[in-house]
This record gives sequence, C-alpha cells and structure tokens, in this order.
Amino acid sequence: MWTFILRRLLYNVPVYLGILALLMGALRVNDPISGKLGKNPAPGDRAVLEEKYGLDKSFPVQYFALVADVVTLDFAEVESWTNDGLFVGEMLADSVVPSLAITVPALCLTSVLAISIAIISAFFRGRPVDKTLMVLAVVGMSVSFLVYIIFGQYWFAYSLGAKTGTSYFAIGGYEPGIANWPYYCLLPVLISVFVAMGYDTRFYRAVMVEESGRDYITTAKAKGATKQKIMFVHMLKNAMIPIITRIMTTLPFLVMGSLLLEVYFNIPGMGRVLFKAIQEQDFPVVQTFVAIFAALFILSNILTDVLYALVDPRVRLS
Amino acid sequence: MAKFMQQRGVRKLLKDRLAVSSMWVIGAYLTVAFAVLLGNSFSGGALKAETELRIGADNVPGAWTSQTAEERLRDATFYFDNIKKASRSSDPASAYAALEWGSDRLPAWKADRIEAELIAPAAELSTALEVHDELEGNIEALALLQQFEAVIRGHIGASHDADGNASRSFGQSFRMLLGTDRQGRSILVRAIYSTKVAVQIGIISALISVLIGTILGAAAGYFGGIVDVIVVWLYSTFSSIPWIVLLMVLASAFRGTELDGTLIPVYVAFCMSFWISPCRVVRGEVMKLKELEYVQAASAIGFSRTRILFKHVIPNTAHLMFINFSLLFIGAIKAEVILSFLGLGVKHEPSWGVMINHAKAEVLNGFFWQIGTATIFMVILVLAFNTLSDALQDAFDPKHI
Repeated sequence: MWTFILRRLLYNVPVYLGILALLMGALRVNDPISGKLGKNPAPGDRAVLEEKYGLDKSFPVQYFALVADVVTLDFAEVESWTNDGLFVGEMLADSVVPSLAITVPALCLTSVLAISIAIISAFFRGRPVDKTLMVLAVVGMSVSFLVYIIFGQYWFAYSLGAKTGTSYFAIGGYEPGIANWPYYCLLPVLISVFVAMGYDTRFYRAVMVEESGRDYITTAKAKGATKQKIMFVHMLKNAMIPIITRIMTTLPFLVMGSLLLEVYFNIPGMGRVLFKAIQEQDFPVVQTFVAIFAALFILSNILTDVLYALVDPRVRLS
Repeated sequence: MAKFMQQRGVRKLLKDRLAVSSMWVIGAYLTVAFAVLLGNSFSGGALKAETELRIGADNVPGAWTSQTAEERLRDATFYFDNIKKASRSSDPASAYAALEWGSDRLPAWKADRIEAELIAPAAELSTALEVHDELEGNIEALALLQQFEAVIRGHIGASHDADGNASRSFGQSFRMLLGTDRQGRSILVRAIYSTKVAVQIGIISALISVLIGTILGAAAGYFGGIVDVIVVWLYSTFSSIPWIVLLMVLASAFRGTELDGTLIPVYVAFCMSFWISPCRVVRGEVMKLKELEYVQAASAIGFSRTRILFKHVIPNTAHLMFINFSLLFIGAIKAEVILSFLGLGVKHEPSWGVMINHAKAEVLNGFFWQIGTATIFMVILVLAFNTLSDALQDAFDPKHI
C-alpha cells in the first residue's frame, strides 16, 4: 500500500507543477499592472510596481518562488497586492472557518437526505413515489443556482422577517461563534442542500438500482430474504463504495466553500476572498488559494483509492 | 441516414415518448434562436435595439394581472411626467412628437391642444390625488385615479381616432405581455432574444469542447504511450483547478482587451473547462474499442493508423459525443447565469443570466416577472436537454451510472 501511495504521489508531481504553471500563465494573460496604475501614470510608476510585486523577474523565477512557497507551506511572508500589510497566510486562516461553517453542515445534510430519498426511491422503483421523486429531482436540477439563492433570500430573510416581525435569518454577513451560526449560516446551508439534492439523489438512486441487478441480490432473494433486509443489509453495504467515492471527491471543494453563496450572502469565506482576488488581480492570493486547493484535491483522490481498497477487499492497489 | 435510423439505440430512443417530445421542445427553441439570429442580422441589429427599447413605465407587471392602485398611479404618473417634461422644452411640438414608448405615442394634436386637453386636466387631477395618502379602499381617490388614467393612458397608443382616443397596436401588447424591467424594457422581448444568446453559447461551447475532448481522448486511447501520458497529464491538470475558479480566471483574462464584452471570453472559458469530461470518457471507450476485431482487421488490411482512428474508431464513439454534447449544453447555459452574476458573462446583450441577475433588486420589491420569465424560459430548455440526456444514456450507454 505504501509503495502505491508513494507512486501515486510521484506521478502527481508533474500534474501539480502543471497546475501551477497553467494558473500562473492564465493569470498573466492580462497585464496586471495597467489596472493598478492611475489614469495618468508617471513614467517610472510601472517599474516601481513591477519591482514591488516581483513581476520584473522572469516567469521561471516567479514560478519557482511560488513552488518554493507551496513546498515549504510558508505563506506568512506572501503579501497581498491589493490589501497592503495583509499576508496570504493570515487571509487563509481567517477565511477557512466561515467556508467550513457552511460547507461541512451542507455536505452532511445533503448526503444523509439524498441517500435516504434515494433509498426510498429505489425501494419503490417504478412506482408513483419513485417517479414523482425523480421528476422533482430533474426539475430541481434545471433551475439555476442563482434563482434558488435569490428566492431563498427573499422568502426567508426578507418576507418571513417582515411578516412575523422577527428576523430569523440574516440577509447577509457573518459573525463568528456557534451562537451566531443559525442566524447567519443556516439559510445558505439550506439553499446549498436544496440545490445539491437533485443531482445527488439521482446519482445515489442510480447506484442502488445498479446494485439491485447484481447476482448476490438474486441469491438473497432466492434464499428468501425480505425486501427490507436485501435493501438495507445487502445492498446498502455494497452501494457504500460509490457513495464514499462521491463524498470523498467533494471533500476538497469544502475548503473552497460555496463561492456563489459566499459572494451573495457576504460571507467572508475562501470563495469570496478568491473571487475578490481574481477581480482585483491579486495574484499571490489567487495562486496560493488554488495551489492549496489543488494539493488537497490530489491528496483526496489518492486517499479515495486507498479507502476503496480498505472497504472492498476485491480491489488491489497495484 | 436510413442505416442510422435502424440502429438499435436510435430505435430505442425514438420509441421513448419523453425523449421525442423533449427533442421537439429543443427544436422549437432552436427555431426561435435561428429566427432571432437571422432576423437580427437581416434587419441590421433592429432586434437587438428592440431589447433596449423603453416601452413604458418601470416594472409594469404582466398583461393579465390587476395592478394595485399605487402601481396604477405610478404607471400613469410615469407618462404624465414625460409629457410635462416635453411641454417645458423649447420646442414642445416636436418634443411631443418625439415622445414614444415602443409604438405608443401621443395623438398628433397641435401643442396647445395637448396643453389644454391633456396636461391641464391631468395636472388638476394629479394635485387632487396628492391629498390622499391612502388610495386603496378610498372611493373618492379611486374615482380620481380612474379619471387621471383616462386622461393620460386613454390618449397614449399606437393609433388615435379624431378625439384622440388611443388603441394599442398588437406589437405593443406583445411587448407588454410579460411586463417591463427596471428600465422599462420589455421582458418578453428580452427573454426571446436571450434564447439566441443561450443557444449560441450552448452550441458553440459544447461543440468545440466535445470535438477537442474527443480528438484528444481518442488519440490518447488509441496511440497510447507518450500521447496518452501527455493527454492524461493535461486533463488531470485542468481538472484539479476548481471549475468555477478556472472559469473566472479565464474569463477575466480578457478584461480590458478588445474582446471584452463579446462572447469570446465566455466561449474560451467554457471550452477550456468543459473538454475534460468528454476526453476522459472517449479515452476509456477507445481503449476498449481498439482491442475489437474490426479494428484489428482494419490494421491487418494495412490501413494507416490515422485512417483507422478517424474512420473506424471515432465514429463508434458518436453516442458518447451526443451524450456529452447534451450535458455540456446544459452546463454552458447554467454556467452563463453564474458568470453573469459574477460580472464576467455576457455584456451589451440580454441573456437569461443577465436578466436573472438584474432581477435581484426587483425581487426585493416583490416584482417577479423578470426573474420568473427568464427562469421559465431557461428551465424548459434545460429540462428538455436533461430528459434527452437521460434518454440518450439509456439508449446508447445503459451501463453508465
């Protein structure tokens, strides 16, 4: 197993270097300096800014500086371009918690609900209950994320508050602390669960249906096991493999937060910080955030494969 | 064609009633889109200009709803304010003639007649109305409002009889059918025009992504070796950057250039992030296909490898191309909304994303016509494509989850 992990890690080194190169290249297509200079810059201004940001150095030098930062995991010295005196390490530390405050509960709730609905749907496969649920899922998938956010905010933050006289959900913003969590974060979490529900339910149902056609189910039926027992004991256990894979692949996205929700509800999470950084062409922030995300993404992929082997004895790591 | 129709998958697809009806829906959307495209280019951009046209007051609700008294007053006051403004200009006669909202305009009276029969009584009624704070349930005020409306709205229309009584043209009723947005522009016209933008973005980005993905994936799967290593490296790289971040970085790379504001940044961003999934799927399929007898027979005959790849292998991945095209089309339309919200999407043109994004502020005032229209236009198309993708998958690739 350790040789497998080591090999996969080594294999991903060129991929990771590629990600950093692609990112830096794509960022530098558009000249970052001209936006930061005033309307009538003095001739020397450009050179001063370039030197300040380290853009006067050649691309390989900048590239290896970033690689060095990532390898040593030292972001305390990397200064943001647009917020003077703010360091990327600090921004990272401040924004991780708000992001996780939304994505972790959302992922847990979505998974539990979607798997439960998928089980119900698969249990009544082909019957009206199943058909209704699947139609709802497809219709739900066809509505834009933004529409859910707009209506969610209108109904729960504005309308509900205006009708009852007390405000249950914040229109936007964020305060740290568990006590403040329901007021600021519950609504975004619920919207996020609602949006993901269609996709996840369909996926999990497909997994269950796929499993229900396998030989071991036929054997269990022939043995005389009840439908309930087959569903929950035999099938669910085997369906866990694709379910775990799916949850694992979404894990790295938790850190990034739900960018749209954070932007809309003014939650100072990583997604919103990243969005602002891209808008303001704040390269150190964009590069660091994406570099960290990509590293987590690759690691979680490897971890998924390892977990696969642990859960399913048929899978061999080679 | 006949051979194509007889394929097992195609027959299965055509038997699926839902799939066939969703194809009709998609066909209808495509027809509208091409009609808008052709109409716009033949009329020299008249349709695009139509989407920017002010046709009336702000946020007028759709035709068949009853307005509240406040809304009716606001609506009539909008026209009255415009007419008053024209009367104060240096040349009132031509200012009156220049007043138009879509095809609605004032009767072709002399300036003093407009002054006497329209502005003077309206001003009197308007002052009388100002006394009343509460309009709803106030019989006296409602009567005044009705007179005020009759004076103002009764004279504004596409055509007028001798007394100046107006009637609306069909075109104006059509424009007003689903109300107006915050700038008094027709929501229906904008939503229909947006169909063109959506179809354009969907087709172009899905087609290019599928082509790039298929060619790279097929080459990787078929040739193996260094080609495979490079392609796998390339898509692993692209897929390790979160999709939305890649989209934002690519779309903002064009800021300030002359391509800013066109659809090119949107296409580039979509194609560069969408080609990965067809590439991955086709590569897997081709690796299976190349072991089959017919491919080995073709190479035994002595066909070149490129010929086998393009003539025998890639055509057999056509079903995957269709499925992926359908999925990416949905992806493009939905991603357009997100890009528009983030300010990186379509500019200088209406699109469903732009409409939904503009509707944010209206929703807070309880005006749902714009967001509702754009959403319904979008949902029907996306729903049809979702249904079609499912049917395509069932018909051609049943083992897929």
